[in-house]
Amino acid sequence: MMLRRLVVVFVLVVAGSASRDAACVRAAEAGSWDPAYVVSVLSAQQPAPTQQEEFVPIEELPPQDQLPAAPLLVAAYSFVVLALFAYLVSVARRLGAVQHELERLESELKRSGRR
Amino acid sequence: MPKWFTGAAVLCGLMFAVAPVLIANAPYESTMGLVQKIFYVHLPSAWVFLLSAIVCGVASVRFLFRGDPRQDRLAWAAAELVVLFGLVTLVTGPLWARKAWGTWWQWDVRLTSSLMGWMVAVAYLLLRKYGGPGSDKLGAGLALFGMANVPFVYISVNYWRTIHPATSVVPTLPSSFGVPLWFSAVTFLLLFVLLLRLRVRLQEQHAALDALYLSMDA
Repeated sequence: MMLRRLVVVFVLVVAGSASRDAACVRAAEAGSWDPAYVVSVLSAQQPAPTQQEEFVPIEELPPQDQLPAAPLLVAAYSFVVLALFAYLVSVARRLGAVQHELERLESELKRSGRR
Repeated sequence: MPKWFTGAAVLCGLMFAVAPVLIANAPYESTMGLVQKIFYVHLPSAWVFLLSAIVCGVASVRFLFRGDPRQDRLAWAAAELVVLFGLVTLVTGPLWARKAWGTWWQWDVRLTSSLMGWMVAVAYLLLRKYGGPGSDKLGAGLALFGMANVPFVYISVNYWRTIHPATSVVPTLPSSFGVPLWFSAVTFLLLFVLLLRLRVRLQEQHAALDALYLSMDA
């Protein structure tokens, strides 16, 4: 009897938690510690993997699986290049404007003889 | 501009030209495929984003305690780079996530704290532009919050449940992924140094202009 229980416990541990809970309940209800009974309960719960009989067109997949990667990749790299370039142009323009203003002021000061 | 600037700019340009070749030759990741290549710009920009926030925070602390205007100029320049590289990180991340996670955005700790850090930098720039007198000290205080957020952003993925990859991914990368990543990271770091120097130069010119206007009024 003890050996039987050990075999049943081993089978349940291997089966995983969700199946184990359900099988324990069914085994307790039936009052049976017969390993063959527990294995039959477990096998009845687990759906057999279905064999692929046909190819599924990509349009029938969920939207997130249909998504092509290339546009996202291109968008990411384009954004990086554009953002960095735009910032560089912005800093260069601001620097040019300040430089121009500085030169204008300095020449104005020289002309007025204050410097 | 200093002598090293031109040479460093040429080197940075060359590195930006070589980086796409290395990235294109890197292998496809087994579960994410092509879209994983966003990683090579997303992660370096995220690192530079956090580095900029640290530079901004440290310069702000030094400005608050020493009153050195050069530190204030450095902080202002770094804050602009926080916004730039933060924007790159926050745009490239969702483009990758859309394919890898099936969603553009998750309100998990890493993404939310990164967004917060970016918004603190935006607030800093708005404050410096429209805050008027005293905004330098107030901005410096704000930059401290931005810097305090950095370690939180970094460790968040290791302590909270999130779908964002943990920090353990990078040290365990095989060299086929690692070489393009580190090359890209050095390129972004060099770009950061160049942009920071350029932006500090702009602040210096503004300070010179202000001094000239003051001398005209006197």
